[in-house]
Amino acid sequence: MKGFLKRLSPFAPDNSGVVSALFELGGLIAICDAGGCTGNVCGFDEPRWFTMRSAVFSTGMRDMDAILGRDNLLVDKIVSAQESVQAPFIVLVGTPVPAVIATDFKALRRMTEKRTGVPVLTVESTGVNGYDKGASKALEMLFDAFAVEKFAVEADTTGVLGATPLDFSSCRAGGYITSALPGKVNVYGMGAGLQEIKKASAAALNLVVSPAGIAAAVLLEKRFGTPWKMTCPWIPESVTNEIPAAKGKRVIVLHQQIAGVSLRELLLKAGAADVAVASYFMMEKSLMQIQDRLLKEEDDLSAMVRDFNADIVIADRNFKKVLPDFKGSFIDFPHFAVSGRLLDE
Amino acid sequence: MAGNYYYITAEKLAEQGSKNIPDELIGNKHLIYSSPATLAFNSPGAQGFGVKRAGLAVPDSVMLLVAPRCCGRNTSALAAPGNLGERFFYLLLDDTDIVTGRHLVRIPEAVKEVCDSLPQKPSAVMICITCVDALLGTDMERVCRKCIEKAGVPVEPCYMYALTREGRLPPMVQVRKSVYSLLKPLPKRSDAVNILGFFTALSEESELRFLLKKAGVSKIRELALCGTFQEYLEMAEANFNIVLNQEARFAAADLEKRLGIPSIELVRLYQLDKIRHQYQLFAAAIGCEFDDEKYFKEAENTLQDFIKRHGKLRISVGEWLNADPFELALALLRYGFEVPEIFGTVGEGNFVWVKRIAQLSPETRISSNLSPTMLHYADNTVPCDLCIGKDARYYHPGVPGVDWNGEVQPFGYDGVKRLFTELDAALTAGKES
Repeated sequence: MKGFLKRLSPFAPDNSGVVSALFELGGLIAICDAGGCTGNVCGFDEPRWFTMRSAVFSTGMRDMDAILGRDNLLVDKIVSAQESVQAPFIVLVGTPVPAVIATDFKALRRMTEKRTGVPVLTVESTGVNGYDKGASKALEMLFDAFAVEKFAVEADTTGVLGATPLDFSSCRAGGYITSALPGKVNVYGMGAGLQEIKKASAAALNLVVSPAGIAAAVLLEKRFGTPWKMTCPWIPESVTNEIPAAKGKRVIVLHQQIAGVSLRELLLKAGAADVAVASYFMMEKSLMQIQDRLLKEEDDLSAMVRDFNADIVIADRNFKKVLPDFKGSFIDFPHFAVSGRLLDE
Repeated sequence: MAGNYYYITAEKLAEQGSKNIPDELIGNKHLIYSSPATLAFNSPGAQGFGVKRAGLAVPDSVMLLVAPRCCGRNTSALAAPGNLGERFFYLLLDDTDIVTGRHLVRIPEAVKEVCDSLPQKPSAVMICITCVDALLGTDMERVCRKCIEKAGVPVEPCYMYALTREGRLPPMVQVRKSVYSLLKPLPKRSDAVNILGFFTALSEESELRFLLKKAGVSKIRELALCGTFQEYLEMAEANFNIVLNQEARFAAADLEKRLGIPSIELVRLYQLDKIRHQYQLFAAAIGCEFDDEKYFKEAENTLQDFIKRHGKLRISVGEWLNADPFELALALLRYGFEVPEIFGTVGEGNFVWVKRIAQLSPETRISSNLSPTMLHYADNTVPCDLCIGKDARYYHPGVPGVDWNGEVQPFGYDGVKRLFTELDAALTAGKES
């Protein structure tokens, strides 16, 4: 049945992706919810919440706010919080409640900008889509709003788009990616902040490390002509250590697509017979090979493993639950957006 | 992010009165800061005993969460094998569902599929629905009837309506009703009572058990101690219910109406004289006498030993704990300790404690964990020697303290005794390290 989960629990939603992409940038992030969504985002999907302070708030909507559409009250609350936080920008994040009551985010943006005098971004996430879609929208909006000035290109500077703990399962992923690349590296949102985003046009190249970064890369290419490519320069050692075992084997990699594609290259170099990349999240068509699959339902994975006749599955170990009959090898590749598990755990 | 956090002194707050509580202390008047200090109680489904976990308190039941994926996300935390994860199922809604409500027709089929996928039929399927259905005005009673017809098992709704958190029937009140709603009338037993209010068991050492037994009550039942569905059903033979948490009042009223079981409410207190007084009133109400001297003395001796060993310390009191923070703070002040700050939610119900605190310690700072200004609370802003509550400990890293939010529920003299025993251990460990 569509949307029915018997063994898995839900993956990270789009509103978590929005917050994850913007968490380190110093903005005031107001999640338009009744409290539950924010509890999920902060208490579960944002591992940095426990080590780093960020102005992420719930708007604390109540039934009468939803029924009467009391936008003025919401703006009052944001203005009051902004007086205390003094953030350089404000982000309003959608959840199911504003989706159901058809909140006019554009009006909210105008009202809030007028009263606070700082830029306001509105990301109309709904809580029903994947984290990657939310992160993608947020990054695109962010660069659209702040990367406006054209700076001289610095030949050794690389921008990295799409890195979040949700995909890289580590709060230190920015550092790992930086170490894996030459020259000056700006991992936007994981180490590189708003100032670097404003100077994004100075990057000679943008690396897109997850599908969430594609839309922002396209925007920067259109605006400044910055070339971009999709590759994941860092795969956890716990996974790469297992690559030799894939020689002569048929392998399925299930993760975010760009990590999957980069890992496929390593596996094929090591002599894997064939590698299929699968994902429950966004799949960029230009990277897909004929055997690759965009999965939707819980049972899709077992069907793919059977059809591909896989010897090895590389995926978050949570997926073992849906492969009770799989007799091959399973290599754990933690994916925080799936299991909420960090690499270091 | 420079700025100051908001606080008000107890004296000033008492002066303003319960009708003029400042907006900064009222959750629905400002944005809500869900700091790590607040996660367990600041969301109907977050950590701790939210609606999802609470709804599974019925033995051998399973839960179908019908919601957008964001509402079920943190359930992954309960998903370890052998944990509650195996009892959760999901019907995830898409963009069209949340606007049109078309998912409702799929629920009976999903319930049947849940039952068919299990080796044994569950005792009940709890259907957890969220803000989306609150706004759609879903008639869950009707949906549940359809599910019963289709799957042949009891089906009950659990309303995780975060939108109604400050309403007359907030989610944690509703879910308490839901978990007792499968009880059917049974002949009454005069020696049986139920303890309502918690989803985990009352401390085995609580004197309440011993006092009730001495008064002739041989069957003391609690939901958390029902190992089987049959044991759960036997709760219906109780002569009366003891409500230990006011969030169970609505459930108790429903049980009185449906099953004719009256109830009496007791409050969790930390002031020894008030505990004694409450027991006297309780005994009079049920027509007996309690000899609680032994338990009173034990608690008092533990307290006095603690004071002798550690002196009159400065104690920061939070609200993520098994107590009303204001009553606990008042108890500490009356025992001679200093309470420089309290993190808590003030309302009409606990304002009486605030007034007494203001008399004993007018400068005590009162703050709301949920205020956006708490972002500016630097570690150890208000110096203290000891913390009680997981939130207070968050604000005071490095200071000895106890979370005091364990699953075994403290109550009465035993609660006081255990609190000071744990505080003593925390201070001793702090000194040793």
